[in-house]
Amino acid sequence: MVETLNLKMDSKEIDPNAPLFGEGLGLDSIDALEIALVVSQNYGYKLRSDDPDNVKIFSCLRSLCEAIEKNRTK
Amino acid sequence: MASLPLLNPYFPNNLLAWHGQTPVTSREFLSDVASLTQVLPEKGYAINLCEDRYWLLVGLAAALSRGQTTVLPQSRAPLAVEEIHQQFPACYCLTDLFNSTGPFPSFSIPQIPRQSFASPRIPMIPETLIGLIAFTSGTTGQPRPCPKTWQSLVTIAKQTAISLSLHKQTHISIVATVPPQHMYGLETSIMLPLQHGWAFHSVSPFFPEDVRTALDTVPSPRILVTTPFHLRACVADQTNLPELECIISATAPLSLALAKQAEKVFKTKVLEIYGFVEAGTLATRRPTKEETWQLLEGNCIESCGHRHLLHGPHLPQPVCFPDEITPMDPQKFILGRRHADCIKIAGHRISLTELNTHLQQIEGVEDGTFLMPEQELGNHVTRLMAFVVTQKKTPAEIVEDLRKKINPVFLPRPLYVISHLPRNGTGKLPREALLKLAEEQNHTSGSGSQGHRINS
Repeated sequence: MVETLNLKMDSKEIDPNAPLFGEGLGLDSIDALEIALVVSQNYGYKLRSDDPDNVKIFSCLRSLCEAIEKNRTK
Repeated sequence: MASLPLLNPYFPNNLLAWHGQTPVTSREFLSDVASLTQVLPEKGYAINLCEDRYWLLVGLAAALSRGQTTVLPQSRAPLAVEEIHQQFPACYCLTDLFNSTGPFPSFSIPQIPRQSFASPRIPMIPETLIGLIAFTSGTTGQPRPCPKTWQSLVTIAKQTAISLSLHKQTHISIVATVPPQHMYGLETSIMLPLQHGWAFHSVSPFFPEDVRTALDTVPSPRILVTTPFHLRACVADQTNLPELECIISATAPLSLALAKQAEKVFKTKVLEIYGFVEAGTLATRRPTKEETWQLLEGNCIESCGHRHLLHGPHLPQPVCFPDEITPMDPQKFILGRRHADCIKIAGHRISLTELNTHLQQIEGVEDGTFLMPEQELGNHVTRLMAFVVTQKKTPAEIVEDLRKKINPVFLPRPLYVISHLPRNGTGKLPREALLKLAEEQNHTSGSGSQGHRINS
């Protein structure tokens, strides 16, 4: 994720339970699209805006990883 | 007083919108407009905060029918809306939220009882009515209002379709990833359909999979209105889009490589629109065929030294281009670099001066500046960084203060606290000095200095 978003930080600095958006890691919608792209390319899981679980999925790195694990096709 | 119809042509039973999954005919739309028109208060301005494209249009159309001006704030953040309210005290607010509360009269459009009219009238809108006020970033920290007459909105819609050779099409479905509050989004996804008997989808799809779903909902011929940012994502994702009449892109220059790839992957034409808030859409091109931009009919460029002014029949006065251009003849030009003060990220524009004003106004900030680094290679969206001199605030606090005032895409990444800025003898900040400082900070922060990232 650090590489994808060009965050110029060490991946170990990310707290897996910290919020990704707004406060916390401070990501925004540009990052959300970048994340979706890499997730789709690497794991075949296509993120959607109308997924009712989105609030949970994007809440922190841990939830995002759990969602990828559950929905990956490759 | 001369007037122009809200809808033209009008086919009562043709679809105007897919409101989510629900198709809405032109007659049903006019019924919704008439229902809302009846309950609106007698005030001059309607601040339209609707996110949904269909509700936004119903609000806009009802306000136009009453001879009122719609105000489209750049941001729906409470502070930004309050500032707009102060500029336009004689206003009320339109939203598509179900529990809208605010400091001034507010109407939730979905909650207005919908009446059904067998043959609702087509509102005739005075040409000279200021139908809309959009905003662009000013240099003072205050957004600058850009009024649009109804005639100018209609003229641009008609001329854009001619310029894209779409004016003879009677059935088109538009899906737009661009929000309707954005001037480009409003012109392409609301005004084009209204003035050509076409239809649009109410959502603004975000992820490639959303784009596919929305396009699959609507019948052919389909047009995808988007930005280089979203287009790149769809191309990279190899999204399986249905057959497209064309793709329209705007808000940032499309690279020739991406345009070629998109034409190949989606087997369609990629057309580009150029415009800015003050002028609206003003030129088009097909990047895989020509580098030059063709102005819409009736517009022309006047050059005074390095400054280039756009004249148009819909413009009350000529406007200056925010980008450097090279005119080829009065109707054609080549686009150059963006002026140094103008920052654009993912379709959002702001002036560096405005950003710096916001930063320097934060309590506890002694001095500070933003810096747009050189565009990086690869496909990352390049972000701003900032340097701040402060004894009283942490970088995280400064970022939080900024978040309340500016669009988050402009938040600095990273923000460095330093002892002083490299101002020269005249107090100016040479770009080279800031780039050097950025390099130093990037280097030292890696070894644990106080160089600070947005996350900590």
